Amino acid sequence: MSSSSYSTIGTRRDWLHWTSCGLGGSALLSLLLRDGIVRADPVPGEANDAPPHHPARAKRVIHVVACGGVSQVDTFDYKPELVKYHGKSLSSDEKPDVFFGKVGLLRQNDWEFKQRGASGLWVSELFPHLATQADELTVIRSMHAETSNHTPATFQENTGFRLNGFPVMGAWTSYGLGAETDELPAYVVIPDPRGLPAGGSINWTNGFLSAKHQGVMVRSQGTPIDDIYPARPLPVATERASAELLTLLNERHRREHGDEIFAARMHSYELAAKMQRVVPEVTDLSRETAAVQQSYGIDGSATDDFGRACLMTRRMLEAGVRFVQLFSGGAFGSPRINWDGHENMVQNHGQEAARIDKPLAGLLADLRRRGLLDDTLVLFTSEFGRTPFTQSEANVVGNGRDHNQYGFSVWMAGAGLKHGLAYGATDEIGMRAVEDRVHWHDFHATVLHLLGINHERLTYYHNGIRRRLTDVSGHVLKGLLA
Amino acid sequence: MALRIPLLVALALASTAAAVGAAEVDSFATTVGPLLAKRCAGCHNGVEKNGGLDLTRRETMLTGGDSGAALVPQQADVSLLWQRIVADDMPPKNPLPKAERAVIEAWIARGAPWQGGALDPLAHTSEQRAGYDWWSLQTLQPIVPPKSSPRARNPIDAFIEQKLTAAKLAPSPEADRRTLIRRAYFSLIGLPPTADDVAAFVVDSDPQAYDKIVDRLLASSGYGERWARHWLDVVRFGESQGFERDRLRTNSWRYRDWVIEALNRDMPYDEFVRLQLAGDVLRPNDADALIATGFLTAGPWDEVGQKQQSAAMKAVVRQDEIEDLVGTVGQTFLGLTVNCARCHDHKFDPIRQTEYYQLAAALAGVHHGEPQLPAAAVAKKAAALREPIAARLRALESRLAEIESPHRSKILAERKEKGKKSAVPQPIAAWDFQNGARDSIGDLHLDLKDGSYVRIGMLHLADGYAVSPPMSKRLGAKTLEVWVQPLDLNQRDGGLFGVQSLNGSKFDAIVYAEQSPRRWSAGSNGGRRTQDFQGPEETTRSDFVHLAFTYDEDGKIAAYRNGRPYGKPYQSSGLTFFDEGNGQVIIGARQLPSAPERRLRCAVDRARLYDRALTPDEIALSAGLDVDIVSEAELAARIPAAELTERSSLTFERTQLREALERVADAKVYAVAPQSPAKTFVLHRGNPGDPRELVAAAGTVSLKGVAADFGLKTDAPDADRRRRLAEWITEPRNPLFARVIVNRLWHYHFGVGLVDTPNDFGFNGGRPSHPELLDWLAGELIRSGWSLKHIQRLIVTSAVFRQSSQPRADAAQQDAGNRLLWRKSPQRLEAETLRDTLLQLAGALDPRPFGPGFYDFSTYVRNSQFYDMRDVEGPTFDRRTIYRTWVRSARSSMLDVFDCPDPSTKTPQRAVTTTPLQALSLLNNSFVFRTADRFAARVEQEVGDDRQRQVAQVFRHTLGRTPDEAESAACEPFVEQHGLAALCRVIFNGNELLFVD
Repeated sequence: MSSSSYSTIGTRRDWLHWTSCGLGGSALLSLLLRDGIVRADPVPGEANDAPPHHPARAKRVIHVVACGGVSQVDTFDYKPELVKYHGKSLSSDEKPDVFFGKVGLLRQNDWEFKQRGASGLWVSELFPHLATQADELTVIRSMHAETSNHTPATFQENTGFRLNGFPVMGAWTSYGLGAETDELPAYVVIPDPRGLPAGGSINWTNGFLSAKHQGVMVRSQGTPIDDIYPARPLPVATERASAELLTLLNERHRREHGDEIFAARMHSYELAAKMQRVVPEVTDLSRETAAVQQSYGIDGSATDDFGRACLMTRRMLEAGVRFVQLFSGGAFGSPRINWDGHENMVQNHGQEAARIDKPLAGLLADLRRRGLLDDTLVLFTSEFGRTPFTQSEANVVGNGRDHNQYGFSVWMAGAGLKHGLAYGATDEIGMRAVEDRVHWHDFHATVLHLLGINHERLTYYHNGIRRRLTDVSGHVLKGLLA
Repeated sequence: MALRIPLLVALALASTAAAVGAAEVDSFATTVGPLLAKRCAGCHNGVEKNGGLDLTRRETMLTGGDSGAALVPQQADVSLLWQRIVADDMPPKNPLPKAERAVIEAWIARGAPWQGGALDPLAHTSEQRAGYDWWSLQTLQPIVPPKSSPRARNPIDAFIEQKLTAAKLAPSPEADRRTLIRRAYFSLIGLPPTADDVAAFVVDSDPQAYDKIVDRLLASSGYGERWARHWLDVVRFGESQGFERDRLRTNSWRYRDWVIEALNRDMPYDEFVRLQLAGDVLRPNDADALIATGFLTAGPWDEVGQKQQSAAMKAVVRQDEIEDLVGTVGQTFLGLTVNCARCHDHKFDPIRQTEYYQLAAALAGVHHGEPQLPAAAVAKKAAALREPIAARLRALESRLAEIESPHRSKILAERKEKGKKSAVPQPIAAWDFQNGARDSIGDLHLDLKDGSYVRIGMLHLADGYAVSPPMSKRLGAKTLEVWVQPLDLNQRDGGLFGVQSLNGSKFDAIVYAEQSPRRWSAGSNGGRRTQDFQGPEETTRSDFVHLAFTYDEDGKIAAYRNGRPYGKPYQSSGLTFFDEGNGQVIIGARQLPSAPERRLRCAVDRARLYDRALTPDEIALSAGLDVDIVSEAELAARIPAAELTERSSLTFERTQLREALERVADAKVYAVAPQSPAKTFVLHRGNPGDPRELVAAAGTVSLKGVAADFGLKTDAPDADRRRRLAEWITEPRNPLFARVIVNRLWHYHFGVGLVDTPNDFGFNGGRPSHPELLDWLAGELIRSGWSLKHIQRLIVTSAVFRQSSQPRADAAQQDAGNRLLWRKSPQRLEAETLRDTLLQLAGALDPRPFGPGFYDFSTYVRNSQFYDMRDVEGPTFDRRTIYRTWVRSARSSMLDVFDCPDPSTKTPQRAVTTTPLQALSLLNNSFVFRTADRFAARVEQEVGDDRQRQVAQVFRHTLGRTPDEAESAACEPFVEQHGLAALCRVIFNGNELLFVD
C-alpha cells in the first residue's frame, strides 16, 4: 500500500467521495447546516396511513427514562396527610399486594415540598434546580401501571405491552414520522454510562417493525455510533478510490438489472457519508460555550454524565433527530445504580437526583431560550412509583420504599401542553391514583397526539393484528393540552 | 379447491343486478339468516347482548332488549329492528346497503318466518370478519394440475402458467447458468458455490446437471443449517430468559441442533411437529424427543415475575406466558392468531374466547425447565462434539505457551538470580485442629458453639459454629484460607470462615451458595462488598477444597480454589477495617447473632488468617501446588503489545472452549418440565382475577375435517393434553397444517409466500395468489409422507424458480409486486448468509456442525446477566452464524442492520431494509476488514502476485464470473495502488454480491 497520509479514527475527514453525486463545498454546507439555514433531506416515515393525521404540536421528543421507580411522594405529589400519618399503619382493611410483600408503617416525604414559580406547582427539594423550571412542567400525578415487576413495567412504559418483543415509542415514532434529516438516525438512545438498563437493547427494540426503527445507541464518550468509522485507519486516497470503484461497479450492475432496490442501496452509501460527517460534529460538545456547558452541569461533578447526555440530545434534535431517549439509571443489583430505593430512600434518591437535577433544568432552560421548547416534547417517566409506607416489618418505619404500580407521577414539558399544571390526583397518602387516572396507553396516545398522530391510525400489521402502540385502548388526555 | 365466494358478496352481486326476486328472499337459510348473522349477531347474540338484545333467535327478537321488542312480524315500520336500520343507526358505522334493507323489510312483511335454531354469528364471512366458511379453514381438495406448456418442468409450472396466461403475461426465460447455480446454493444451503462449482456447471452439458446439484445440496449438512435458521425465526428461539434477568441458557443449543439434524434427515414434517409439542410424552426416555420440546420453551421467561410475592401478579405473569405460547403454537403450525382471543372472541377469525382457553388448557402443563437427559445419550453426542473443541484448545494452548513461555522462563530465571524464592507465607493465626480448636500461632483459640466439635484433626460443623476472642491488632487487608468439605452441596447461604466486628455489624466471610447455588462468594454486611466471582460450581463433595480469599488495600477481592484463581476478582466498594479489640474470627457462620440457616454444614481441616493479601503464587504454594507460578501482572508487563492483543483474544477463546467442553457434557437441556396443569378457566376480559367457566383441553371447531373435541376431562393429565393437541394439529385432514408449511417453504424460496402473511391465514392475512397451487402442494406434501425436501425439490427445479430475474417493463406495469411470478425477484442475502459468505470467501469458514454455540460477547452477572458485545476473532467464531448464541439482549449491530430479527419476536418474514447504518457496517466493521484481508491472502496464494489474475480470481470467487474489460480496467490499477484487500472490501459492498438474482 502507498504511504499517503493516514487519518486516525475519530477525526474528521473528507467522506464526500463516498457519494456518487458529490456534494462539494462541504465546509460551507456544514456551517449552513449548523446554523439551520439549510437542512438535509427529511426521511419519511413508513406508516401506510401517513401522519400527520392532524396538525402536529411537537416535531420531536426527548424521553428521559428514570429506571427503578421514582417515589411520587418525595418528588411531585405533595401529600401533607402523609406527614400527619408518619409512623402509623395503613387502615386495617387495606393489605396492599406489594412486590416484596413487606408492608411497614407510613413514612413522610424525605424532602420538603414547596410551591414553585408563577404556577405554584408543588416540587420537592429533591429537585431544587428543576424546580426553577416548574412553570414549564406538566405533571401527571395519577399514573397507574399493570405490574410492579420492573422489566414488564418498563416494557409497558415504552411499548404499551408487558412482554418482550413489541416496538418501543421511539421506534413507532420513527415508523410514523421518519426523521427530519437523512444525516442521522431518527431514533437515538443514550444509556446511562454506569450501565445499560435491565434488558439492555430490548428497551429500544424495533420489535416487529423493520430493523431501521431500532434505537441507535449513541455513546457520550468514545466512538459515538457502532461502525461509524473504519475499524482500522485507512489512507484517505484509498477511501476515495474505494468509493469511486464501488460506485462504478454498482452503477454497471444497476444498468444491467434496473431494480429500484439497487439504486436505493447506492443512495444509502451517500447517506452513510453524510452521517460520517455529521455525527462527529453533532457529538462534539466542545463546540458549545463554557457557559452553556456549565448550565448543563458539565463540570466534572456528579452531574457531568447526564449533563453531557442532555447537551448532546439538544444538539441532535437541532440536527434533525426525531426521538432521543435518555436513561437515568442502569440495571438492578448492588450497589444500586438506579432509582430502586428499597433500602434507603434518602441515600438512593438523593444520589440519583443529584446526577440529573441540574442537567434537566439546564436542558429545559436552553430549549426555551432557543425556541425549541415550542415544538419539542420532553417526557420524564418511571416504570412505576414507590409505596408511601416503607418496605419493612409491619411495626417499623423503615428507610426504603417498595414498588408501587397503583399511583405515581410523571411529567411532560414543551410543545402543546398546559404548563405549570398538575393533572390527576392520588388518594390522601399518595398510594393510588383516584382522580383522572392515566394508563400508559393514555400517556402514549397523548404523546402521539401531540406529534400529529392519531394513535388508532398508526398501525402495523403483524401476525394477524394491526398492532398499535396503544393496543386496543388509550385516550388522549385533553386536559393536558394547551 | 376453488375459492368460495363469500355468501354476502354473492348476495350483493345478485341483489344489485336487479330487484330482489322472490326466489332469493324465499329461503331464510340462504339470505335472511346469513344476513342477520353477519350484520347483527356479532354484537347481539346469546353471549354478547349489547343493549340486552339477542338477534340470533326469533323468540329473543320478539322479546327484545332494553329498548323493547325488536320485531313485530308483518309490521316493519313499528319493528325497532327496522327503525334502527332505516335511521342508519345500525349496524353502527356500516349502514346496510339498499338491497339488504329490502331483504329485511320483505322478510318482516312476510311475517318473519324462521327456519332452524339460533344463528351462529361466526357461520359466515362478512366484510368485517371471517366465518366458518373462510377459505383456509376448508378441507384440502384433491387438485388436478391444469394442462401445461412444454416449457413446464413440473406441475407447479402449470398453475403459474395458468394465471400468467389469464393476465396475458409471458413468463421470463430461464436464467443463465451462473445465476442458476448461485441461486440454488443460496436458497438451499445459504452459501455461495465455489468458483470451480460454477465453472463446472456452466459447461456441463448433462441435461440433469441442475437437478443433480439440487439433490447434492438437499443432501448436504448445509441445508439443515440454512433452513433451521428460518424455523428458529418463526419459533422466536432465544438462548436467554429475556425480561430483567436475561440469564443465559447454556444448554438450549441442543434444540437448535435437533432442528438442524431433523431437517437434514428430512424427518416427516408431522413427526417433526409432534415431537416439538410432545416429544417427552410420545417417546419417553428418548433424549432427542425431549430436546425437541425446546420449542415450547424457546421464548422469553420472566424469572423475576415468578419470584414476586404477589400471587395476583404471578397469575398475570403465567397468563402472559401462556398467551405467548398459544400464539406461537397457533401461528407456527396453523397460521392462526388464536392469541387474539384471550380477552374476547377473535375480532376477525371464527375463534371463540372459550377456544383460546381450551388451547391454553392443552398447554397448561407446560413449564420452562432444565430436565435431565439420559446419560448414555449425552455421552454419545459428547464423544463426537468434544474432540474438535479439545483440538482447538490444544492448538490454542500451544500458541499461548509459545507467546508466554520465553517471558515466563525469563522471569523465573531472574527470580532465581535474585535468590527470591517464593516462600510459604506466615499467617497471623492458624488452626489445624490437631490440638483441639487452638490457634497454633497466636491466641485466637476458638470457642465451639451449638454442638460443633473437633475429631480426627477436623472441625465438624453440623449446626454449630466456632468463634475466637477479640483480636488485639487492627486488621485491614487480609487473606482468609481454609480447607473445607461441605456436607451437602445444595445447601444455601452458609458462612464458612471470616472476621466480624464484635457486634456483628461488619463482616467479611467466605460464604457458600449465597449469590448463586454451589458457588463461593465473599459475603459482607449488607452485601456491600459482595459480587459474584462467577467461579465454577462445586460438583462433588468427596475431597477437601482449598479456598483462599484475598482482600487488598485498594478494595480488590480475589478468590482462589485449590491454588488457582476462582472466577474473576473484582473491585469492591472498599476495604473494611476491624479495629483492635473489635474484631474476631468466626468459622461456620458469617456473623453473630447467627441464624441456623446462615451456617455452613461442613468439615474444616485447617484454617489460616493472614494480615495481607497473598500473591497468587503464595497461594498456589500454600495450596501445595508444585509449580512456579508467574503472576498475570508480571507476564503482562513483559509481553509486547501486539502479542498481548493476540493473547487476550486467545484467552477469551480459551475460556469459551473450556466452557464448551463442560456444556457438551452437561446432561441437562432447556426444554419442557411439565407440571400437573392448573385448572383452566375462561377469564373474563382476560383478567386472571375474574375466572368464569372451567374448560377442558380442546381445539377450535372452525377447522373443517378434524374434531375439536379431544375427549378429555378438565382435569386430564398434561401428557394426554399435549398428545391430543399434537395429534389434532398434525392430523392429515387438518386443513391448515399442510397449507401453512408449504407456504413457508415457498416464501423462503421466492421471498414472498403464495399467502404473503405466513403466520396468518385468517381474515387479516393475505389471500393466496395461487390457491390451487397451494392446495396441490399441501396435498403433495401429505402424499410424499410429509417430506419437506420433496416439496423443495419440486419448487427449486420448477421453471418458475429457474426464471431470469430481469425486470420487464410490460410485466412490471401490470404486476409490479410480481405476485404472478413472471420473473424470479432478486433476494438480498440475509444477515447470517452474508456473514457466512464472507467467511467462506476468506477461506475461514469452519464447517464443523453442531455443539454449543459461540459467544460474541463477554458476560457477567450482577443480579441480572449482562452482555458486552465483543469483536471476536479466532476459529471458534468462524463457524456458521446459526452457531452464534442468540441472547435476547445481546444483539450484534452488524447482524441487526441486515435485519436480523429481535429473538423475542415471532418472525415469519424478515424485513429487508436499506439504511446508511447498513452501509457503514459493511464498510467499516472489523469483521469485514479481517475477512477481506484473509480473502486477499487466499487469492494471492492461489494465483500469485499478477494483478490481472488476482482481480479475475476475486471476481470468480465472489460473483462466479470473470470481470469484463471495463471492470478490469478499473480494478487492476486500484489493486496496484491500494492493495488486493481493498478491492475485496469494495466487492463485499457491491450489490452484485449482496443480491441473489
